[in-house]
Amino acid sequence: MTQLAAFKKMKELMTLYYIEAKTSTEKPVAWLTSGAPVEFVYAMDVIPVYPENYAAMCAASHQSVALLEAAEAAGFSQDICAYARTDFGQDLLRGGPAGGLPPPRFLVCSTNICKTVIKWFEAVARKYRVPLFLVDTPFLHDGLSRDVVDYTVAQFRDLERFLAEQLKRPFDRDRLLEVIRMSRDATGLWRKILDLAKTMPTPLTSLDAFIHVAPIVTLRGTRPCVDYYQLLYEEVAERAARNIGAIPEERYRVLWDNLPIWFKMRYFEKFFEARKCALVTATYANSWGGITASQDIQTSEPIEALAVSYLNIYINFGFEERIRYLARLIDEFALTGFIMHSNRSCKPYSVGMYGLRGEVSKRTGKPGVVIEADQNDPRVFSEAQVETRLDAFLESMTPLP
Amino acid sequence: MFAAFHEAISDPFVTVRTHRDRLGRPVIGVMPAYFPLELIHAAGGYPVQLWGAGDSIEHADAYLQSYCCSVARSLLALEMRGITGMVAAYAFTSLCDTLVNLREVYRRLFAKPTVGFSIPATQTRETRKAYLSTVIENVLRELEAVTGRAVSREALRASAALYGRIRSLQREIYRIRRQKPGVAKNGDFYAVIKAGFFLPPEDYRPLLERLVAELEAAPPKAGRRPRLVLSGMVFEPVGAYAVFDDLQADVVDDDFANGWRSAAKGALQVDDLVAGITDYVYSGAPCCCIYHPESDRHAYLVEKVKAADADGVLFWSIRFCEPDAFDRPQLAERLKQEGIPAFTLEMDLAVSNFESVKTRVEAFCEMIRGLEV
Repeated sequence: MTQLAAFKKMKELMTLYYIEAKTSTEKPVAWLTSGAPVEFVYAMDVIPVYPENYAAMCAASHQSVALLEAAEAAGFSQDICAYARTDFGQDLLRGGPAGGLPPPRFLVCSTNICKTVIKWFEAVARKYRVPLFLVDTPFLHDGLSRDVVDYTVAQFRDLERFLAEQLKRPFDRDRLLEVIRMSRDATGLWRKILDLAKTMPTPLTSLDAFIHVAPIVTLRGTRPCVDYYQLLYEEVAERAARNIGAIPEERYRVLWDNLPIWFKMRYFEKFFEARKCALVTATYANSWGGITASQDIQTSEPIEALAVSYLNIYINFGFEERIRYLARLIDEFALTGFIMHSNRSCKPYSVGMYGLRGEVSKRTGKPGVVIEADQNDPRVFSEAQVETRLDAFLESMTPLP
Repeated sequence: MFAAFHEAISDPFVTVRTHRDRLGRPVIGVMPAYFPLELIHAAGGYPVQLWGAGDSIEHADAYLQSYCCSVARSLLALEMRGITGMVAAYAFTSLCDTLVNLREVYRRLFAKPTVGFSIPATQTRETRKAYLSTVIENVLRELEAVTGRAVSREALRASAALYGRIRSLQREIYRIRRQKPGVAKNGDFYAVIKAGFFLPPEDYRPLLERLVAELEAAPPKAGRRPRLVLSGMVFEPVGAYAVFDDLQADVVDDDFANGWRSAAKGALQVDDLVAGITDYVYSGAPCCCIYHPESDRHAYLVEKVKAADADGVLFWSIRFCEPDAFDRPQLAERLKQEGIPAFTLEMDLAVSNFESVKTRVEAFCEMIRGLEV
């Protein structure tokens, strides 16, 4: 990965976060999905823990296979999301880099990333006999509409009541507004950082972004998160100003669609660097940067704005909007092509991807490729197959002038 | 007794085309699951339930990965091959991630309109009610645009009564099967349910009325054979049920989304349509695709096994169906605690050779017989 001084700070931040989550006796722990409105949880001094983030850590540190196998031995089919299986496995074995996650007092889950999380969190709720609060964010087949925003806002109010009941104290709305401000500051900085990749050569790659996404997932809404991204922004902006590229030579600039392949980060870093190809932007990393959809509802009311941002998740969009968004990124980041990861574990991202590839190519005139893999399960990854496809794709691209 | 049902499903799309031509109503293809058929019928449409078909699934390979379930792949293959050419529009619900995206795939590939019923997942009643009222308004508007006919209160009432009666007759058939296992061959039973996907309700109802009377009059089978409850999303492929007949085993009840979970729904109350549809979605039998913690699938399945005096549960699992697969380990564990034998059979709609199914079901039946000795 690009040598960034901020990396050390991030490791420190994440280590402290996991230590606090594992050891705190005062603050209760809740398990959340990555797209859940954590601001409400932080407003009540609850420590949010993200099984998705932890599952990714397990895979990135090459510890996922044993955990997947443990879940499968317990009856969970290989057909289900590998994040969920990794999570069930860490729970059974107390495995992974942090030695397992602390047990939850309650769960908060949102459907903006998939409906699969309902099933996953239902299983956790059953096991731990804890309540699950669901924020239902309907899929936007035809863009955002007033009724869907109202529905989401109403559920936020229900969530406030749920938290007050669970914690036996009134919900702190003033604190919520403060947390939302910090969350917005952090996501704003994150977006500014990702936008720096418009510079040629790009000062950071999407592989860097995948690593540095951890705090925006787990700590958004906190002061250390804002401070961290300020630090990272300054460092990356400095590199951009001095024209320091993330890879030694940039002949190709491409987009990555879908989740990272967490257990192959180093491999892809070397693979792309050797081929002078920079991964410049990624729909996954952008998901925490407050995507603006074309039919956005403008609002200055903070709770409503929050609802809009949790609904406007790339994989919660209909395909017309997805195509428009991908075409915009290809244009704005001056890309030479795009890579789509057909991810066995993620249906919302992957089902329909073959058709999307063709349509985006047609609209932009840029080549795209689909590779078959999985975000967390190394056993379904075929290096030979992926390399053949990527090499053919690289050959089909017109390099930068 | 079952000829008319078998005839209706022998070539379902010939059946549909024939009735469409006679009725002059636009065919609305209803995707899995729980779209209230009464709404389509009241709007002057001819609802036809589509749960996939086993042949030529590979036609969808250019658009859907092999890790998508065979239901989704075969549905797309049917449309791509023109088999469902008579379908004028499709009705989708937000049942699972794959079907949500499948609607988008249809919208990109085909010119046919799609109507979407977004099933709210929140459990807060007031919030759900407010959202559902706009969802229903939109669904009715979209249906009216397809059929060109406004949905009147009277039409809704008549359609609700018709479908309510059909489901109540189906429940009767389920009851008779529980009380007199083997009264219908397993393959015949599912032919009866499947015929209802394709026949117009006006034609299906009298067939069911007659069948109920005939089954009531039929004498119970002598002797006790292994009794199974089947659980899964879809009871397809129907060809597999000959295996149970050959093995002298009786499916005494099921927990299929397109079987009992659909039949269990009461008549749709139309005076307060929002309340009626809420009840329609959540009442009856729990489903792995409908989040509703108030109705626990574990207690429900245990109770079902006991009520049917069944010997075991066979999980009829269509590969790559995540909602079904997620629930299974804990459900199996609960059955184990209750001393109810269970095993999982991995299925695919494209399976047409049922030898391995037979071997596995046979082993399970022998195990059950062994327990009884």
